[in-house]
Amino acid sequence: MGSTCLMVLLGAIALSSFLFTADPKGTIGVSSIQVFPGNARRYANKNQDFTFVNFNLTADLAPLFNWNTKQLFLYVSAEYENKQGVRNEVVIWDRIVRRKEDAQLNIAGRNKYVFRDLSASFKDAPPAHYSLKYNVMPYVGVLTYGEAARTTDAVPFPERQDLS
Amino acid sequence: MGDILQKYLEGKIDFEGQKLVEQISRNALIAATVVSFVAGFASQSLRVLFGVFALFVIVLCAAVIPPWPAYRRHPVKWLPAKNPKDQ
Repeated sequence: MGSTCLMVLLGAIALSSFLFTADPKGTIGVSSIQVFPGNARRYANKNQDFTFVNFNLTADLAPLFNWNTKQLFLYVSAEYENKQGVRNEVVIWDRIVRRKEDAQLNIAGRNKYVFRDLSASFKDAPPAHYSLKYNVMPYVGVLTYGEAARTTDAVPFPERQDLS
Repeated sequence: MGDILQKYLEGKIDFEGQKLVEQISRNALIAATVVSFVAGFASQSLRVLFGVFALFVIVLCAAVIPPWPAYRRHPVKWLPAKNPKDQ
């Protein structure tokens, strides 16, 4: 009986998350983007392009914190179609926000993770959109996804620069 | 000494008492569920929710686990022992 009551409580908590429908929006902009050739450490004689993205991020994600929010997982992903017409989504940055006080974002960041293409080159790759997405991780219940910001115009990949 | 301890620790309650205990615990747990959810939701805090629920459970344990006299008010009346010589 006691455990049934606990299960009912947990279920009610999980369901209560659906009452909170905050959908905060922020802005994301790419301040600089460069492509350099490099050497992938894993394949010693394979040269490929690496893209370096600097971006500005503003968003107030505090509304996503309710009584059942444990933490937020934020990530910036680059979305583009490569030469073969395959839709790519590459996570270039992420952050975990554990406290509501830390949910005001005003970040000038750069890609935290290596941004490279499977075809080893960004030549002819169409312009990419950059978006800030989040996961709301609850104490009890389902993980929910959302998008908080997106570049208004797609950002083209520049020509590869040669390292002098 | 052993007899005295046994007298106090033995939790014999009668059948009416068992029925009563079951009713009390069921109703109290349902009430605890509702009250703790409302309290937790109102204060937007899972800590409050589980705190209130735990409080209910502790009080319920105190009310229901010891063999209080209220649960021993209807002792079973046994038939008188038959004397085997009478048969």
